[in-house]
Amino acid sequence: MDAIHGLMTGFQVALSLQGILFVLIGVMVGTIIGMIPGLGPITAIAVMIPITYGMSPSLALLLMAGVYYGAAYGGATSSILLNAPGVSEAVATTFDGYPLAQQGKAGKALAVAALSSFVGGTISVIILTFLAPTLAKVAVSFGPPEYFALMLMGLMAVASLGDGSTIKALITATLGFMVATIGIDGQTGTPRFTFGSVHLLEGIDFLVIALGLFALAEVSSLVLKRKEKVANQNPIGSLKLSKKEVKQITPTWARNSILGFLVGVLPGAGGTIASFMAYLTEKRIAKNPEAFGKGELRGVAAPESANNAASTGAFVPLLSLGIPGSGSTAVMLGALMVMGIQPGPLLITDHPDVFWGVIASMYIGNILLLLLNLPLIPYIAKVLKITRPLLISLIIVFCMIGVYGVSFSTFDLILLTVFGVLGFLMRLVNFPAAPFILAFILGDMIEQSFRQAMTISNGSVDIFFTRPVSLTFLILSLLVFLIPFFQMKRKQKKEKSMAA
Amino acid sequence: MLKTANQKIAVFLFLFSIFYLIMTFNLPSYPYVPVDSDVIPMGLGILLMILSAALYFVKEKSEASKEEHEKIPGKEKLMLLGVLGIILLYIFLLEPLGFILSTLLFIFGCSRLLGYKNYILNGVVSIIFPLVVYFAFTKGLQVALPSGILPF
Repeated sequence: MDAIHGLMTGFQVALSLQGILFVLIGVMVGTIIGMIPGLGPITAIAVMIPITYGMSPSLALLLMAGVYYGAAYGGATSSILLNAPGVSEAVATTFDGYPLAQQGKAGKALAVAALSSFVGGTISVIILTFLAPTLAKVAVSFGPPEYFALMLMGLMAVASLGDGSTIKALITATLGFMVATIGIDGQTGTPRFTFGSVHLLEGIDFLVIALGLFALAEVSSLVLKRKEKVANQNPIGSLKLSKKEVKQITPTWARNSILGFLVGVLPGAGGTIASFMAYLTEKRIAKNPEAFGKGELRGVAAPESANNAASTGAFVPLLSLGIPGSGSTAVMLGALMVMGIQPGPLLITDHPDVFWGVIASMYIGNILLLLLNLPLIPYIAKVLKITRPLLISLIIVFCMIGVYGVSFSTFDLILLTVFGVLGFLMRLVNFPAAPFILAFILGDMIEQSFRQAMTISNGSVDIFFTRPVSLTFLILSLLVFLIPFFQMKRKQKKEKSMAA
Repeated sequence: MLKTANQKIAVFLFLFSIFYLIMTFNLPSYPYVPVDSDVIPMGLGILLMILSAALYFVKEKSEASKEEHEKIPGKEKLMLLGVLGIILLYIFLLEPLGFILSTLLFIFGCSRLLGYKNYILNGVVSIIFPLVVYFAFTKGLQVALPSGILPF
């Protein structure tokens, strides 16, 4: 069993004193940032990147992975206590979580959320342990045409499955790709779109985009919300669950962990879609659907187990193919590349400590999160009361350090501010930022694999259609692209039949 | 003609894509590769042109209800511009003044601007945070931050 053996190697990394410490710091920071409404996992990861400078890549990734799934845990707390989801993944948790808090059962809801996150995270990391290496083995045989088609599919999926307008998502993806072409072209050495500036010759650093478009932009939104008073919280109440309640929730956990994992593996989908799907399915199959929305524990358990399972599932394409399927895993990929590691099918053989270390850290991280969250929930919830003005200033400073620490140039800081403004304006007019960062990170790889493939085929595009795997991916990307149109048709039909 | 925000953005993006395409035509060519460095950018420019046209004409169902986005009151706009100004000031002072002093001023000033009135706590955080971060980064993580006019 390769996987078991590999996992043992991973535990050696993750169970070292440093390993546990970094996972612990990661999950704490992630939980706190995830809890603050408006700040999402991408911001959490991006502001942590400067701290990882000079660290070994495996430890750095432990920290970042901790932040990432910690944020998925933390989102639930503000959903339940304040009816203000910290991250979009936690929106579905408010439906039943907040009513429970109003009935004075916040403790119960928080306990269910923590347990569900634990179950979802753990079940899916077990599947990940066996699936990722298998997939990596298949992917080793992929050549440039396959990679090109696969990445195209990933981009299409993010654009058409994300929430909101597909056209807007495609536009931001195109813009992200355009920004990726700035700098010296790797194949011919031609400087592109540098406007004669030396600073732009190497292209724009990914941290500038991640911190600007997400962290700074989210902070600007916080500026507008800085005066929002933290609502008077009802007493949290007991955290204990009865045996009957646990028995009732167990099948919910099992179903939605697997559902969440599968949705997470798919490019483009991810935690938000997984949690809504989980909530709706659970409501549909329940014997008493009318209880949902009024404070049903299963209504908390379903989305919370699904969104954590999905965030783990998203690691499958990242670790085994080197291709992120979401904005947050794209930022994680960018962070790895800053450290000189290129995830992909060869990661498992070239850097087994990184590959297995991350997977092992997820087992530990989930346990740590449960241990941290259950007894400390009432105290952690107090973080929500940190004064916003101070928090805003500190996050801005962190963004500045992050960029300055890689480039040592104030030019990049100005660029960071420009992207911050752009990110804020994009939010105002409902242009999603995740496709932008994904296209920015994939852009270079897509272009290179396209051109390599064309070099192999001597300039004929047939190469993409005559190789079965690449053809399959291309057909799939077309299908994903068409999904929103089918949905629109179906909706129109429904409306017509309703009117008749 | 420009009724909705989307249409204004669409026109802007359309003009931008033309500008971008002109730039791609001016890229120098390199004869020894099947796909030169201007092919992908050209494709992107054309794609953006098509997409901005689509944004102008197509009204998506999900969009119709969302068309009304939040308006930011004038006072808050000034506040955002103020924060932007103070960030730019911070960037310009970072290297001449050094990380510790400029960050100290920034945290205190920015928190105050945003309405934080607890001067003592604000002062304490503005002094301790830059010091801790500075030494953690320069000594612990070996990332050099500008020392500026301070001797360390």
